[in-house]
Amino acid sequence: MSEVDMAVIKPEMMKSYIWLQTADGSIQQVDQKVAIFSPMIRQEITQKGMGSSKNYAISLPQQVNPVMLSLILDYCRFHQVTGHSPKEIKSFDEKFIRMDTKKLCELTSAADSLQLKPLVDLTSRALARIIEGKTPEEIREIFHLPDDLTEEEKLEPLKNTTDDLRIRLLNRLYARKRKELKEREKLKNVEAEEEHVDDRSVDDLLSFINGGNGDSKGVKASKNKKKNRRRKDQQKSVSIDESIECRKDSNGLNFACHSAKVDKLRPHPGETSKLLDAEDDAFANKVEFDDGDIDDEIDPALKEIIDREVEDFARRLNSDWPKRMQEILRPVHLSINGNGSIKRYSRPDPEWK
Amino acid sequence: MGDSPDLDLISDLPQSIIESILTRLPIIEAVRTSILSSKWRYRWASLTHLAFDEKCVTSTNDRTFVENKLINFITRALFLHQGPIHKFQLCTSFLTSCPDIDQWILFLSRKDIKELVLELDENEWIRVPSCLFNCKKLTRLELSRCELDPPSTFKGFSFLKSLKLYQVYVASDAIESVIINCPLLESLSLSYIDSLTLNIRSPNLKYLCLEGEFKDICLENTPLLIAMSVAMYMTEDIAEHMEQSSSCNFIKFLGGAPHLERLIGRIYFTKYLTVGDDPGRLPIKYINLKIIELYQVSFEDMKEILVVLRLITNSPNLKELQISSSSNSYTLAAMEATDLEFWEKECPSHCIFGRLRVVKMTEMSGVPHEMEFIRFLLENSPVLEVMSIAPCSSVTEGRLNMLIELVRFRRASPRAEILFIQN
Repeated sequence: MSEVDMAVIKPEMMKSYIWLQTADGSIQQVDQKVAIFSPMIRQEITQKGMGSSKNYAISLPQQVNPVMLSLILDYCRFHQVTGHSPKEIKSFDEKFIRMDTKKLCELTSAADSLQLKPLVDLTSRALARIIEGKTPEEIREIFHLPDDLTEEEKLEPLKNTTDDLRIRLLNRLYARKRKELKEREKLKNVEAEEEHVDDRSVDDLLSFINGGNGDSKGVKASKNKKKNRRRKDQQKSVSIDESIECRKDSNGLNFACHSAKVDKLRPHPGETSKLLDAEDDAFANKVEFDDGDIDDEIDPALKEIIDREVEDFARRLNSDWPKRMQEILRPVHLSINGNGSIKRYSRPDPEWK
Repeated sequence: MGDSPDLDLISDLPQSIIESILTRLPIIEAVRTSILSSKWRYRWASLTHLAFDEKCVTSTNDRTFVENKLINFITRALFLHQGPIHKFQLCTSFLTSCPDIDQWILFLSRKDIKELVLELDENEWIRVPSCLFNCKKLTRLELSRCELDPPSTFKGFSFLKSLKLYQVYVASDAIESVIINCPLLESLSLSYIDSLTLNIRSPNLKYLCLEGEFKDICLENTPLLIAMSVAMYMTEDIAEHMEQSSSCNFIKFLGGAPHLERLIGRIYFTKYLTVGDDPGRLPIKYINLKIIELYQVSFEDMKEILVVLRLITNSPNLKELQISSSSNSYTLAAMEATDLEFWEKECPSHCIFGRLRVVKMTEMSGVPHEMEFIRFLLENSPVLEVMSIAPCSSVTEGRLNMLIELVRFRRASPRAEILFIQN
């Protein structure tokens, strides 16, 4: 070949190309140097010999549609060139990542399927930045998450529930009812499934593990009460779910308070281990069903009155709830409730092993 | 908008991506995602990286309050956690020693913990529970301010690659046995662990960082060592002990690291190396040693100068040299040029620093041996590009003299720039 001829051969013609097929069937020709930035593509070429021609195009995972592919190739094209300064790289990445959230999520998924770890890290960081500092509603809106937790499930982590005067009253009424029911059952001589508010300290539990099986069952309310009183100084959190839960336990389904609305207030058993706001001084005050009222003898007539009261109250509570929830849900602080003790429920919980 | 419900953008991403996102959030926000929707309820609970600090709880001025809340938060979070925990980090000055820490470490030991970082309040050191030594899968361990006492049955961490102990109270032989029994150990950092006498035998060790008052260190078996950073604080005891020792520290320290690429010696490192008999001509050549940084080198002590000379003349591929002097021109003795013939005697006649490009001399006071050293370097560095000299801030009048001398020196490299840094 003469020198003139050699000069005519342009460098681009020396590049090799790889054929890629996206999920929708379309096939593209891509510079090999750029494509092999993805370990998955590189593997397809070297180990399986694919990609060298249109008929043997490498089929990309379904998360990679043509739009995503073009974005990813842009990224690879920049990053596979060595010699960029850290500043240049940073500036490219920041510009690259500016896209709407939907695209960002798709890109993360596509990059992950192509095993492009640096790109996954970049997009994850961007998504984390989007999530950070936002309220749950805002996050739900951005990502179109269904708001499908039931009211009580959402309630669980909120400390304000027990601050609420009405809730405290409700608790007290429930407790009174509970107590009365216990008396009834004691009279009937039936082995009642009683509330097992297990307030034992860690030490107690350890000695339980190591030794006797003593008080695991049949913890009486009064005993609890005493423990609760003792515990008043420590941060104790007896949240609404627990008191309601106890109600349900001690009485199957015959409780008068069984309006459907009230049921909604009851959480799923076993899902009560939510994290509560730790401004829990309120909790210490909260343990008020300890006080004198409970020892009242409740005669059947009074019992009816109480039942009705509680039902009314619950209904009222419920109707106000959604509005109140907006207030409460807004500045959500989630952290653990003040009481580190472990609670055990009478109903065996499949989630806890 | 639109008639079809907007599809959930994110909940169906694989757990590895969700983890990648949630670990980039402060843990309290990650936990908060449990309220978003039913799919997100326990996504956070499978995170394999957990990092706690006092930001997890709202802060108040009441320290005990914060501490209690933090303890409860961590306990609850761990209790709700499902699946393995590979990385656990707790760095806060709000926590002091408490029994919960033992329980957390016990819990972690059952969760395949691989990386554990613990740094608590400096006022109360924790006693590391023995269950830590049951964490068989540990690859990285970083402990600060604690008391370490491995049980006699401890067989080592077979996967440990990185060990960093900062202000840890531990016996010398305990550390030695830990090092020896971690065959994959690549990075070791021991800071402010007093009075250690160590024989380091670690066949895979690549990075070593030592800082503190060490009595006696010997790198017995570290053939793969690449980088070393040492700061040897001296107390009177140690100085005394050193006077009496005859074994050559230079060999003990650097004899076993022929593949060294980077050496940083702070505080009294060069002085430490002078102890013992002069090794004479060294049998080893550090052919990979490219960067040497030495601080607090006293150019008034002939032995220290000799150590530096031995080091650089046995590193044929040295590229960068940085020396910070600790001499001062206030002592008359320093300014009097005694035994200048030393230079002709000790320097190998045909010593060429064939790759040396950059030399930085700092804290110079212009004492004769400093200048002689610079002259020696300039004469024997044919590819030198930068010789930067920064005088010590307390030297004011001597600077002119320094400059006058500098200008005289012959330079082997035509491209050499001499930068005199005024501050």
